[in-house]
Amino acid sequence: MSASLSNSAVDRAANALRLPTGILLAVLTGAWLAAVARAPLDSVQGVIQKILYVHPPLAFAAYAGFALTAIGGALFLWRGDEAWDRLARASAEVGVLFCTLVIVTGPIWAKGTWGRWWSWDLRLTITLLLWFVYLAYLLLRSFTEGSERAARFAAVYGIAGLAVIPLNYFALDMAAGRSMHPENLQQGSLGAGMGWPFALGAGVCLVAFTQLLVRRIEIEALRGALAERVAGAPGGLERS
Amino acid sequence: MNTLLAILWKDLVSEWRSRDRVVAMALFSFLVVVVLHFALPGADPAEVRRVAPGLLWVAYVFAALLGLNRAFALELENDALSALAMAPADRGFVFLGKAAANFVLLAVVQFATAVVFGLAFALDLVPVAVPLAGVVALGSLGICSVGTLFSAVAVRTRYREVMLPLLILPLLVPVLLGAVSATASLLQGERVPFASIQLLVVTDAVFLIVSFLGFEYVLDE
Repeated sequence: MSASLSNSAVDRAANALRLPTGILLAVLTGAWLAAVARAPLDSVQGVIQKILYVHPPLAFAAYAGFALTAIGGALFLWRGDEAWDRLARASAEVGVLFCTLVIVTGPIWAKGTWGRWWSWDLRLTITLLLWFVYLAYLLLRSFTEGSERAARFAAVYGIAGLAVIPLNYFALDMAAGRSMHPENLQQGSLGAGMGWPFALGAGVCLVAFTQLLVRRIEIEALRGALAERVAGAPGGLERS
Repeated sequence: MNTLLAILWKDLVSEWRSRDRVVAMALFSFLVVVVLHFALPGADPAEVRRVAPGLLWVAYVFAALLGLNRAFALELENDALSALAMAPADRGFVFLGKAAANFVLLAVVQFATAVVFGLAFALDLVPVAVPLAGVVALGSLGICSVGTLFSAVAVRTRYREVMLPLLILPLLVPVLLGAVSATASLLQGERVPFASIQLLVVTDAVFLIVSFLGFEYVLDE
């Protein structure tokens, strides 16, 4: 339906991904729920440990969103194609959604295992700061008049937001020292029977992210096409 | 280079003639110091010495936000932002000129604030004045680089006074952490840790590069 709207790579990719990710999401979600239900209970933490199958996967999707925001912004500044801006904007919105869920699920798990809701630890603080940066990004977009200007401003801010991540990492590492949050970068840190539900969780979150992203890009593209049609129509209304 | 000096000179001369921005920033940061004093009722000198670096930088950041919010006000009121954008000069150097002017104004305010701060909290800052000035300069460089870039952005948005702090405060965390930890070592009479100077220098470099390149895209013609 919307295939004729734009020929840019972003819109073509969004169109191609819409149906497959929808189907994949339905299948994977079912498998994931079953796997989580059947996964063994953690001998120390009990049932609350099952947040493991949600919390890090949500974070993967949130980080993917923020990386795509900066990449889309940079490509927009370089190429000047609005489609890249649609990618950046959609990624920021979906990324903020996932990041919010990370910030909600994290403290629930922390309260259950560390005994307190929040700790000013490296990972937690960086994620919180990212959340602030990308909320400011979305506010900047909605407070700026003119879509081309908003796109330029947001692209510059999105790139600055990405550039600050390694600096924050270094700064907080220096200030906070050892952290409470597990690193878990090494292989084999998951207990027996926990690998599959975790992998499925990561798959579900990334597919859900992609599905929401392409839907959001499609809405933006339709909006742009509508604005063009209204502006081009004889006696067309001024778009406010 | 001439662009940089011309803009720096223009900003400093116009500020010298009106003196409104520096006076407002200084008064505001004095008030912050007074408020911070009342926020710590009955704190003993050791306690004050421990929290003083953070408090000093809170006053500095507030003063900087106030000043940066007005950094492009004159240009906006007189419709001179487009002229700046169309000037036959590299916009990166326009940015450096504006940032340098903000840096100078902030430095004046920071010096006055440090004097008031030392008196209010009974801290003798004179023996550490030179290294402290170096640390403050490194911190201000980071604040003024992203501050100037996003001041040019915020001035073109609705709610611009609100937008600027929302944009730059989350970016300033590495600057503040480095500056506060270096200031804390100085006030404790210790050597400044190399890691915090390294952090400040790297952050300043990254912010200056991003702002220098990004300024190209934030001016409208």
